[in-house]
Amino acid sequence: MSATPDGPSLIALIGNPNAGKTTLFNALTGANQHVGNYAGVTVAVKSGHTYTPHGRKVRVLDLPGCYSLRANSPDEKVALDALHGQLPGEPVPDLIVCVVDSSNLERHLQLVLQVIELGLPCVLALNMIDVAERNGLRLDPVKLSEELGIPVIPMQANAKRGIVELKQALRLPRPIAPVTTWTHLHDDPETGRRLFINQLCELVARRPNAHQQTTSDRLDAVLLHPVYGWLALIGIFFTVFWAIFSFAEIPMHWIEAGQGSFGKWVESLMVEGDFRSLLVDGVIGGAGGVIVFLPQIVLLFLFIGLLESSGYMARAAYLMDGVMAKAGLSGKSFLPLFSSYACAIPGVMAARTIHSSKERLVTIFVAPWMSCSARLPVFFLIIPLLMHENEGSWKQALTLFAIYGLGTATAFIVARILRGRLGEDISPGHFLLELPPYRTPQWGYIFRHVLDRAMSFVKKAGTIILGLSILLWALSTYPKSNSSEPAEALAHSAMGRIGAVIEPVVKPLGFDGRMGTAILTSFAAREVFVSSMAILYRVEEAENEEQTRNQLRDKLSAATWPDGRPIFTPLSLISLLIFFIYALQCLPTSAVVARESGSWKWALGQFLFMTGFAYAASFLVFQAGKLIGF
Amino acid sequence: MPHAHAADLKIDSAMTLNQVRVGCDVQIRVLSGPGCDRLRDLGFCEELQVRKLAGGRNLICSICGTRMAISRELAEQVIVSPVQ
Repeated sequence: MSATPDGPSLIALIGNPNAGKTTLFNALTGANQHVGNYAGVTVAVKSGHTYTPHGRKVRVLDLPGCYSLRANSPDEKVALDALHGQLPGEPVPDLIVCVVDSSNLERHLQLVLQVIELGLPCVLALNMIDVAERNGLRLDPVKLSEELGIPVIPMQANAKRGIVELKQALRLPRPIAPVTTWTHLHDDPETGRRLFINQLCELVARRPNAHQQTTSDRLDAVLLHPVYGWLALIGIFFTVFWAIFSFAEIPMHWIEAGQGSFGKWVESLMVEGDFRSLLVDGVIGGAGGVIVFLPQIVLLFLFIGLLESSGYMARAAYLMDGVMAKAGLSGKSFLPLFSSYACAIPGVMAARTIHSSKERLVTIFVAPWMSCSARLPVFFLIIPLLMHENEGSWKQALTLFAIYGLGTATAFIVARILRGRLGEDISPGHFLLELPPYRTPQWGYIFRHVLDRAMSFVKKAGTIILGLSILLWALSTYPKSNSSEPAEALAHSAMGRIGAVIEPVVKPLGFDGRMGTAILTSFAAREVFVSSMAILYRVEEAENEEQTRNQLRDKLSAATWPDGRPIFTPLSLISLLIFFIYALQCLPTSAVVARESGSWKWALGQFLFMTGFAYAASFLVFQAGKLIGF
Repeated sequence: MPHAHAADLKIDSAMTLNQVRVGCDVQIRVLSGPGCDRLRDLGFCEELQVRKLAGGRNLICSICGTRMAISRELAEQVIVSPVQ
């Protein structure tokens, strides 16, 4: 052990899922790690720094939650490895802080005793002391400390109560707690621990009435009801989609107006020429066209954060277990798959909490078919083209709902087939889920999380998308032709030539060369499609915002094949939607899949399968539609 | 792993958690089966009281003030008897 005489240099936070380890970690280190009211939000070890009251720097590790030290799933294995100092580059921690939910001592102490048995110095953080007090639980931390032989700190991490006391405790002498107290109670260590905990809880945690009706019970009576529960689930998720569509419109207007006038302003400052065209068409038109979708993405992450933080997500997983079973999965796959609606990367990461390794692989495989937020810009561009001008936003929401439904349904069918082919697990895993009490959402953390996601989206728009926009602008501008006709100039450019090469490949899907080129660019990141289309169809900033907003759509509606037929018929638009629902156009996702599944073959197979499937599905839809006479 | 002996049980009153009526309080007697380690980790330990809150495909139980959802297969491995 590398502990210096005056205190530890590395401490690790361990505890059952949902005991508040990450909240404590954030309180100690000032970090903004994502906190949820759902088991398994932390799936990897996070590290940060804190300072003792004397100003000594201490490194803190936040470990994934685990119920025991038996390591049943990859995230629990990570926690166990960290305790043994087996993580690459990490020594054995000098001090373990066991975080427990004090309203649940009987259950959480199991893990604490196992940690004490490891022979490492421990401190017990009695977290959520406020909840225990509200439940009428009478706790006696002093007695608990005497019985366990380790310091016990009552605290409420989300209100920063007890943090100073915990930091003081880091300096206390740290004798190894005697384990004989419970090992001599029974020959079997498991039974010994249980007997000891029962005795201990009699002494230090008197429950007035174990089964009083709490607010959570009353809410659950409705939200988990076989009929009302489902109505609530459908209602909640439909509201989320509807709200994303309708609330986002107001800030989107502002962004468009700002972007429009900024483009005009830049245009008025500069003389006609290539550089002005680069700035206005390439940079402002390209990156700006994607930034417009920021409000929708922010709202989606906000709602997911709300559902997670309030505790409803676990209920949804419980309700969905039956549905997931039809796909050969379990309720445990619900959170990974649902998170994939925001972004497949956290979704694939969250699959670590699934105990069955085969179910985990299948979940990772189909996760990218849960339409992620990067597809939204594409959908928002196409859906209004399918509708008449004055259709209500609820109709658009319904279409969006159908798009999500199609992706999800196909994912389930493929999951079922794949699960059948992989065969049964050696040790059958069973559905087991803690339903946390409903809590008021931790707004601070939700907002910071949403801000993080928004910033990373803006960053992406400012780097990858901006870079590709400039590249696309250059490709569609040079080499220059002598013709003053824009269409001919484009056909002469490098992009026009690429388009001509691609056109035979994408024509059976109902796309022209320009769409083919835009799709090709979108394999770097899906959102690029929108800016590519804006650049390829030469959308310029219009006089007022309303026109700017509709210009790309107008240009698209007006686009025709050389023989005068419109390119964007409802059928080709649907074919385009289908392609985007199924294609895996996200390099970061493939990288994460390769890491989480432990094989590049799995990631490559997934990419080839999904892209091939997208092509085949679009092809079938377009050709079948043409045969029927659309 | 030594469990409570069968003789300790009142045979007539022992049943699995699946057979308990919703809303009843019961006491866990024995855990037996492949899932019992996992159940113990989650707090389903011998002698603790459980209230069954919902049945169906997965059961919801309240144990030490926490609600847990467990599958029927796991509930089958929890032998309970009425609270004395």
